[in-house]
Amino acid sequence: MEQSRHTELTFQLIVESSPNAIVLVNKEGKIAYINSQTEKLFGYTKGELIGQLVEVLIPARYTGKHPGFRDMFFVSPSERAMGMGRELFALRKDKKEFPIEIGLNPIVTVEGTLVLASIIDITERKKAEERFRLVVESAPSAMVLVNHSGIITLVNQQTEALFGYGRNEMIGNKLEMLIPERFRDIHPDHRQTFLASPKTRSMGGGHDLFARRKDGMEIQVEIGLNPIGETHDQMVLASIIDITERKKAEVRFQLVVESAPNAMVLVSQDGIITLVNQQTEMLFGYERYEMIGSKLEMLIPARFSSDHPGHRNGFFKQPKTRSMGMGRDLFAKRKDGLEIQVEIGLNPIETPEGQMVLASIIDITERKVQERAAKKQAELVIKNKELEQFAYVASHDLQEPLRTVSNYLQVFEEDYLNVLDANAHKYLQSISGATKRMSLLIKALLEFSRLGRDKKLVKVECGKLVADVVADLQTMIKDSNTTIHISEMPTLNLYEIEMRQLFQNLISNAIKFRKKKTAPEIQIISKKVNEKWHFLISDNGIGIAKVHFNRIFDIFQRLHTNDIYEGSGIGLANCKRIVELHQGEIWVESIVGKGSIFHFTISELSI
Amino acid sequence: MKIKLKCIMLIDDNADDNFYHERVIKKCNAADKVIAMQDASVALEFLKSVKNSSVDHPDLIFLDINMPGMNGWEFLEEYRKLPKELQSQVIVIMLTTSDNPDDKAKALDLNIAADFKAKPLSKEMLEEIVNSHF
Repeated sequence: MEQSRHTELTFQLIVESSPNAIVLVNKEGKIAYINSQTEKLFGYTKGELIGQLVEVLIPARYTGKHPGFRDMFFVSPSERAMGMGRELFALRKDKKEFPIEIGLNPIVTVEGTLVLASIIDITERKKAEERFRLVVESAPSAMVLVNHSGIITLVNQQTEALFGYGRNEMIGNKLEMLIPERFRDIHPDHRQTFLASPKTRSMGGGHDLFARRKDGMEIQVEIGLNPIGETHDQMVLASIIDITERKKAEVRFQLVVESAPNAMVLVSQDGIITLVNQQTEMLFGYERYEMIGSKLEMLIPARFSSDHPGHRNGFFKQPKTRSMGMGRDLFAKRKDGLEIQVEIGLNPIETPEGQMVLASIIDITERKVQERAAKKQAELVIKNKELEQFAYVASHDLQEPLRTVSNYLQVFEEDYLNVLDANAHKYLQSISGATKRMSLLIKALLEFSRLGRDKKLVKVECGKLVADVVADLQTMIKDSNTTIHISEMPTLNLYEIEMRQLFQNLISNAIKFRKKKTAPEIQIISKKVNEKWHFLISDNGIGIAKVHFNRIFDIFQRLHTNDIYEGSGIGLANCKRIVELHQGEIWVESIVGKGSIFHFTISELSI
Repeated sequence: MKIKLKCIMLIDDNADDNFYHERVIKKCNAADKVIAMQDASVALEFLKSVKNSSVDHPDLIFLDINMPGMNGWEFLEEYRKLPKELQSQVIVIMLTTSDNPDDKAKALDLNIAADFKAKPLSKEMLEEIVNSHF
């Protein structure tokens, strides 16, 4: 008795000093004992509770089932938590409910088996949990709380929206339900790795992550991981962002860049190339893997590359779409070291990796060459105009004194014929010949300079044109007993007056430079050769030595003295100019003593 | 020469040309009188003052283009302001060094000068002019 009394006291001391509310209940459900923590928690005194049914501490809605549970406990008493998986509530004297956790311990006493219920008020914890739940619920992205065995314990509305599952379908299930099948097997390993050293980080370490919706559709995601809770009950809060659209946009952007008609290079703030297109590969001669990840300066000639980072920083300080290097000539460097002149447009681009610049690069080397050529061409036109002007002024101003000389010669001869001896006559003849010749040369020079000045392209039947020329030369042809064979001729767009002059020059040359005692025979042939018309005019005349083949087309070049063959030396120079007007070429082949063939080509010109 | 004109006027700053042309006219016996003027503005004043009946009233004028002071074009501009009846009694022929087709076209477009010839004036040219205009 003494012994048991002592035990009882010890037991009471222990119970009293427990931080938890402790209630002892007997088989009949009556409260046998409470500690002062219970008095505080429930607002009753010991006297009010001892001897009462324990149901007095339970909200009315549970009191119906409770005796049954109680009886079951006493059938197989064991130490366990009450209400596995259910939420438990207690009722204070003032009828206020509060959430609790209860641990049950069977205790064998002299009065028989009792149950010792130790009750923890979890109001604060519930509040904290609720706060946590609310935070999770109101998060803008899908959030999933997973316990250490990979079971989903909490999801928010965003998760439901993203995955298409209701929360009841997810909570209590394995997380792997949200993962595409091909990743399911390896996922638990990853989870274990995380739990071994839990820290806040993003999942996937640079790999593309995919999640699986209820309808089987895969979405690309980014996942942030946060460890929650204690080591023994480690949880992971995963926040999941659907980046499918962003990835699509990225892919679209890449496709646009790839399909751009000119080279495009995406460069980060620190000057690293992050994206290039095929045009860039073609322009610079590098493979894309050689460029991506490298410093942009690899594409810039050395003499500019030191200044370039400064320019780049300047751009990022005030990023706006503009062209690079206003007013400066820009050059880029190919892999083979060749420099190309470029035009570069800069566009600031916001990417997930931060502010970047998209540079579109156009190779203007060719254009610059063209520009220089066009400038030369324009200069040439001006020079030609000047030459024409000069030729005109020269011919005009030179003609005047020359005319005076020949006029006075004539007057002199008329008035003093009788007083001159034969020598004086000869001298006068020489002077007269020279002035006539000079006049001829001046006129020829003027004509040459004016060739094609008022030219107009018209459709011409070449056969008719050649026939007209032959008719004009009829006297010359008759006197020299010339025969001319003309093959079929095309109808072409020509500068008619000039073309007539061309044929006239070539045909009359063929007659003029005939062999003594040989009747001239002339053949005129045309044929089409690669988009151009090729004409040949062959003769059986004296021929031209090979050394002179090029010379004869220069102005004032003559192979014969005037007393053998007359001429100004400008006929073939005119021919060359006329052929060039028709975007063609003229050349000669000839054997001295056998004859010559003059060839020329003219292009198909559109009116 | 079937026809002999009363008076031919030469307007040309070049005295040598005037000398030669006058000589050609005289040799052809184409006119009773030749008046050579080296200054177009003086020639214009002369035309304003001369009487129709006067022996100095030209039937034919040979006009050069390139002259210091008033040139041939400027002369024509003033000449067209003269009384129509005077103009109707005078044939103007441009006689010039210029064989620039642009000048020729310009002269004929003005529709004042009857023709456009290149120096020097020759016997044949003179006959042709007189035969076709008188």
